[in-house]
Amino acid sequence: MKFSLKTRDIAIIGIMSAILITVQVAFAFLPNIELVSLIIIISTLVFKWKTLYIIYIFVLVEGLIYGFTTYWICYLYVWTILMFFTILFKKNRSPFFWAILSGTFGLSFGLLCSIPYLFIGGVPLAISTFIVGIPFDIAHCIGNYVIALTLFKPLYNLLNWTKKNLLTQ
Amino acid sequence: MREAKYWIKVLLATLGLFVLTILLLYLYTSRSNPASPGHKEITIKVIIPDEEPQEFAISTDALTLRQALEEKELIKGSESSYGFYITEVNGRRANEQKQEWWCITKGGENVNIGIDLINIQDKDTYELTLMEGY
Repeated sequence: MKFSLKTRDIAIIGIMSAILITVQVAFAFLPNIELVSLIIIISTLVFKWKTLYIIYIFVLVEGLIYGFTTYWICYLYVWTILMFFTILFKKNRSPFFWAILSGTFGLSFGLLCSIPYLFIGGVPLAISTFIVGIPFDIAHCIGNYVIALTLFKPLYNLLNWTKKNLLTQ
Repeated sequence: MREAKYWIKVLLATLGLFVLTILLLYLYTSRSNPASPGHKEITIKVIIPDEEPQEFAISTDALTLRQALEEKELIKGSESSYGFYITEVNGRRANEQKQEWWCITKGGENVNIGIDLINIQDKDTYELTLMEGY
């Protein structure tokens, strides 16, 4: 596990964070249809632990754009959880596998984001927040599944090729 | 043979995800707030600090509290990503500068879902209280 950063690493982190923020804003008009999950998965497979920096720059900028409210507290851990699960299965390159993992993440997004409400209004508020958000979680699940299934391979190949051919010279 | 095993795993995992989705959908539709078609008589209390509380008896066929209150032009609000947000009740606008907001309770109990998701039942009583401070 290496956490020290070279100039090249800083450039990669900057570019990947910018890509993450851009795709989030571009897809913001579609409720819970997003490319962020897939990019975090692929980024973790290609850039490994550097993705942690990418995630937290993304989270900070999201806070600056949309405000530091309850959703932001959830963002502090939810993307990192996805990164850790990706690291657990880092040897897998099957689009179907990543579609299932990304879909499951989408489906559990509301549950994960209901955790801050436990501290605000207790279990009843957390449960009702989770239940009210179920239709969004289902849309998130389907969206993540389809996006990962169709885009995992081309995006992974592109990022891997970029790393090998452009970023290692 | 190995490939067949892989596809069976993929199929089972996808099926598992599908079953989980259906279970969540069931949980959502059967939440402890079932829709009740037909005629209903409900009572709405509007409570503003330092003012006399007002009471409204509403006779309606609406399914949700939002529909019932909008029918009687008792509330105004705006759509947000979290649902409908009440900004005005009976002509009294919540002052955002003072961090005022409208709180919905049912018989004094907190209601933790949005107004457009509250399915009303006959003889229900709801309170709309002007609160200060987020």
